[in-house]
Amino acid sequence: MLESLLEFLIQGVVLGGLYALFAVGLSLIFGVLDVINVAHGEFFAIGGYLAFGAVVLLHLPGAMGVLGAAVGTFLLGLCVYPLLIAPLKRRLGGRPQGPLYLVLTLGLSTFLQSSLLAVAGGDYRRVPPQLTGIFDLGVTAVSYQRLLVLGVAALLLTGLFAFLRFHPQGLAVRAVSQNPDAAQAMGINLPRIFAFTLALGVALAGVGGALMAPLFNVYPAVGFPLTIKAFAITILGGMGNPAGALVASFVISIAESLSVMVIPSQWQNLIAFAVMIVMLLVRPRGLFGRPVPR
Amino acid sequence: MNRRALALVVAAGVALLPVLLPHPFVLTIATQAAIWALLAASWDLLSGYTGQISFGHAGFFALGAYAAAAATKHAGVSPWLGLLVGATIAAAVGLLAGFPALRLRGHYLALVTLGLAEITRLVAQNWLALTGGPFGIHDFRSFPGLPADALAYRQAMYLVVVALVAVSIAVMYHVCERTNAGRAFRAIREDEVLAQTLGIGTTRYKLLAFTLSSGFAGLAGALYAYYVQLVSPSVASAATTSLIIGMAVFGGLGTLWGPVLGALLLYGLYEGLRFVGVVYNLIAVGLVIMVFVIYLPRGLAGFRRSA
Repeated sequence: MLESLLEFLIQGVVLGGLYALFAVGLSLIFGVLDVINVAHGEFFAIGGYLAFGAVVLLHLPGAMGVLGAAVGTFLLGLCVYPLLIAPLKRRLGGRPQGPLYLVLTLGLSTFLQSSLLAVAGGDYRRVPPQLTGIFDLGVTAVSYQRLLVLGVAALLLTGLFAFLRFHPQGLAVRAVSQNPDAAQAMGINLPRIFAFTLALGVALAGVGGALMAPLFNVYPAVGFPLTIKAFAITILGGMGNPAGALVASFVISIAESLSVMVIPSQWQNLIAFAVMIVMLLVRPRGLFGRPVPR
Repeated sequence: MNRRALALVVAAGVALLPVLLPHPFVLTIATQAAIWALLAASWDLLSGYTGQISFGHAGFFALGAYAAAAATKHAGVSPWLGLLVGATIAAAVGLLAGFPALRLRGHYLALVTLGLAEITRLVAQNWLALTGGPFGIHDFRSFPGLPADALAYRQAMYLVVVALVAVSIAVMYHVCERTNAGRAFRAIREDEVLAQTLGIGTTRYKLLAFTLSSGFAGLAGALYAYYVQLVSPSVASAATTSLIIGMAVFGGLGTLWGPVLGALLLYGLYEGLRFVGVVYNLIAVGLVIMVFVIYLPRGLAGFRRSA
């Protein structure tokens, strides 16, 4: 009993690392751009495919796969703001955006997902693990790959939060998230911050995709369910609050993995959505969010 | 030529299609396009007219399809009655979904409805006894009393589906354009607080919009189930919602006939592109959504207004 509890707990923590990479980026983008990126999961998938391309097709070392995924998704992410978000923003002027950005990124998601299908085909691709072997804890064991996911996630997220806290560009990002107009008046180049934040957010998802590729298979639709789950996580943590998303990632992932001891495993994916709906009814701002404007 | 004459010509063309083009492939595409038109119109009633953006219409569609298929397969319910079962169950769930929507706006509502559709999909995939799991429900009766001959069956089926779709769309059009409810819907979309101060019972009308919209989406699902004779969890996937929203955006939000036209054209494009390559159709849908949201927000309907 205790052993399986420990095992599920470890699984939950590793999964939480992945959710955090994903949800923190999503929440950061929402906080700064006021855009919910429905296409976030597609960047996860692209990261997986870039790792597959680097490692399996080009025979590069695993680390290059992860790096390639990070750089590739970052560069792709840089294009999203000037090509899609900015033109819509220009057309809208100051009018309320409603859910138009959601519809726009839903279109991007469909477009990217089916483009992946056209380019890479629908086959499940396997990527060899960046690390092999397992770490023996006595009562249970964890594969090094899973520890790597957790380690890289911890490293990147620490780096991200330090960047947001101390680096001038990070301060600019936070300033824009708090008050875009005032930030602009202080001489911050808004379009640059928007494009950069979006790229940073999707690159986190891309790294997640590259790291998870050896644990799951890569296929065009691999990211979408994760996107929906990340919505639940960001709502739990408070929309636009990256630190809240970090905490909520672990709450959800640990609840999911421990739930296996109580309910059949195929239902564990329901937990996040049930939490989301209850949260929205009881406290729409989430655990740590700003009050929701009504 | 005035509008009434044009409408008559279009109606006659639609009704006579099975005789003019008696080809099984054409009829199949036309029948399914009609079902999509109903679905896109039902989405438009809630999201275009009332401004309550649903990202979960695939869920209501799937609920209607599953309810109808399960009722006929497990309880032997006549498909004619099954249509009512599908629509009623979807409407009831839509009404329930409307309650959180009373407190939520924009982003949040979209996310809740998306979560609801995902829950529907997961239940469909895992409740083996009722839904058949990943393989779905198949081998159930279709409408009794239709001819047995393959082509004649398709012709009859086309007429049944198109007639029901036309009546449903007419009902929605009537509600949106000719009743106080329609005016209340638009008032809620434009400025909910103002609508409230003017004495419009926004709660009641929002719930009404949810119930009507999900009910008609469920009816579309039931029609789909009896027509295709297979309901599987993928019906509830986000790709379905994406296609619905794509059709509505393509046609023009808040007009009903825009999304209907958008559905017919986009579904035609969607099926037509299968000849080019099966993967290109969704790429096109994605492109259509992005281009129209950014540059042609009023959709095809916008051309008429500016012309």
